[in-house]
Amino acid sequence: MIKSYKLRRGLANTFIYILLAVLGIIWVSPLAYLVIQSFNTGKEQIPQTLLPMAYGFDNYIALFTNIGSLNFPRWYLNTFVVACFSCVISTISVLMVAYAFSRLRFKSRKKFINVGMILGMFPGFMTMIAIYYLLKAMGLTQTLVALVICYSAGAGLGFQISKGFFDTIPRALDEAATIDGANKNQIFWKIILPMSKPIVVYTVLTSFIGPWTDFILAKIIMGDARDNYTVAIGLQQMVSLEFKTRYFKQFLSGSVLVAVPVTILFLKMQSYYVEGVTAGGVKG
Amino acid sequence: MKKIVALVLAAMMIVAVFASCGNSGETTSSGSADSGSTASSAESGTGFNVDVADFGEEKGATLKVWGPDAYVKLLKKQCDAFTKKFPDKGIKINVVAQGEDTAATNMLSDADAAADVFGFASDQLSRLVSAGVIAPVATKYAEAITASNLEAAVSASTLQNPKTKEDTLYAFPETGNGYYLVYDKSVVSDKDAGSLEAILADCKKAGKKFIMDAGNGYYSCVFAFTGGLKIDGLEDDGLTQKFNDYDEKQVVATLKAFSKLMHDYSGTFTSLDVANIASGFVSTGKKKSVCGAGIDGNWNSTPDQEALGDNFGATKLPTIEVNGKAQQMISMYGYKMIGVNNASKYPRTAQILAYYLSSEECQTQRCAELGWSPTNNTVVESDVAKKNVAISALVAQSEFSVAQVNIAQTFWDPMGNLGNKLIAEDTNPDKYDFTKLFKDTVSNIKDE
Repeated sequence: MIKSYKLRRGLANTFIYILLAVLGIIWVSPLAYLVIQSFNTGKEQIPQTLLPMAYGFDNYIALFTNIGSLNFPRWYLNTFVVACFSCVISTISVLMVAYAFSRLRFKSRKKFINVGMILGMFPGFMTMIAIYYLLKAMGLTQTLVALVICYSAGAGLGFQISKGFFDTIPRALDEAATIDGANKNQIFWKIILPMSKPIVVYTVLTSFIGPWTDFILAKIIMGDARDNYTVAIGLQQMVSLEFKTRYFKQFLSGSVLVAVPVTILFLKMQSYYVEGVTAGGVKG
Repeated sequence: MKKIVALVLAAMMIVAVFASCGNSGETTSSGSADSGSTASSAESGTGFNVDVADFGEEKGATLKVWGPDAYVKLLKKQCDAFTKKFPDKGIKINVVAQGEDTAATNMLSDADAAADVFGFASDQLSRLVSAGVIAPVATKYAEAITASNLEAAVSASTLQNPKTKEDTLYAFPETGNGYYLVYDKSVVSDKDAGSLEAILADCKKAGKKFIMDAGNGYYSCVFAFTGGLKIDGLEDDGLTQKFNDYDEKQVVATLKAFSKLMHDYSGTFTSLDVANIASGFVSTGKKKSVCGAGIDGNWNSTPDQEALGDNFGATKLPTIEVNGKAQQMISMYGYKMIGVNNASKYPRTAQILAYYLSSEECQTQRCAELGWSPTNNTVVESDVAKKNVAISALVAQSEFSVAQVNIAQTFWDPMGNLGNKLIAEDTNPDKYDFTKLFKDTVSNIKDE
């Protein structure tokens, strides 16, 4: 047994730091590989060395200029448009649902909340085939509108965290506003929303990221309409059997670019995000 | 508010009901229409000759055609040429890029939204037929196709009709698809390329790799096929693989010979994805090429040629010495075919287009512009095909091959495992029980 407290602490810390460093390296290395190799301008199509022999922006340039049937700029724009629309629609609907459940008292309110919880438990891909046939019946398959509908239509079910946040805002404010003559709608827009920045930001973030990362639903809906693909399906197409040998490095640079808008949004709203998650969790 | 919501919901349901009715109605009507096109005389010869009467009453047809990305540009040109041949029919063709490897999956997921005419790889044929999504070739074209294409290609496109139990031609042959030996002429001489032992020795001397995807069933079946194993269709259940009467001792001896070479030349004989071959051939300034030779598919012939330039060599697979005798390596050889969607709204026009795309004219264009190996007898004998090194290699290899048709789903993984075991570092070829390995592989494929 080591007597010296200092030595003991030192040893323990060394051990912990080594462990953390190893874990950190394991965690970061795929990302580092992705970013570094995306600047690989070597002649070989699939990188053969751990570090590239030559660096440059060729892959990024090719991604936007060398357009065959794999049209990355188009996919990027598609995803951005879908993300913006579904972000706006689902943010508004989530907040409205949460407000209604938090502030209004109506018959079977508890039951609705429970039903919402239970529906939320079902995994999303369970209904995908049904969604596909419904969309087909409406003639909406292979369109971006279909994606916006799918991403935002059920968003209201994710009201729990926002409701938790609204519950923490004192009711006295509502009452004061009511005395001044505001109706429920005005209270929502003019009193509650300005006080709920963190939770608005949180909702915006989650609903904006959705379309960038969703693969299965988009794949089912889009089928062979390559011009309407989102980046997730498009990038997968780049490493499919048919294209892997020619597009691998462009796939890497494409993956880096996908992270850009999400990262920017995240950095801008980071401080609110943490606040939103923790604040929403205070009261259930 | 409630009223409005109720109205909207009701309207949506009505739209949905009507729309789905319309779709299903169309599918059934087109399905029956297509089998009727058996009348009048068949044109002979390999040229594309179609009676205008074949179109029946179809006019203003709009067809969707699937082709792989590399072929899309030429396919558009060919489709334009096709519409110009029948100007008064007002045909519109929409070419959509769709890989052949996933064609069947996409056809099966929703045939209504899929292409009318589509290219696919031959091993998907049985799936397409048993699901009933592919229309049989109309009888009058079937005769012409049978007469003008390589026998092996035609038999690969023929399957038993699940209902009538008759052998039926289901697809129009498009091109041959397989793998062969590619080598860097500065490493392996043309003479040495005939024998695996010499190739490996040359590669080792030059410090380069010999790359073969030995853990992938598509390539590793070479080990068993070279020993005399052959595929002999499926059992009546349509799922279980049948094999020929092979000589087990010979197969085991061959496996041992392969394994021994892999271990004698460990570090040279490398099991990697085929994509690494073209990349490995590249040498830039400081970095020298790492690959000397490999077993690669014809779809990679362009990158291979670009990487090696004048040093590009391609030929049939080499021989391997088994018990002192040189044995030719036997490969898996598949085809790409053109199919017609059974749910097509314009089945006759679709059939004629598919027929045109597999004609001598189109095959020659594909051969000249894309380097696709032809299946049409006349094109196979033409100068265009004979001058292309990669195509010649593929055609030469096709004589030593097992056709990639009627292969059970359970075939690939056990075969890949066999390859992995042969090359595994802890396998000692002098002591390892190859008989057991082979017996296990066969019984796993048969799913016993």
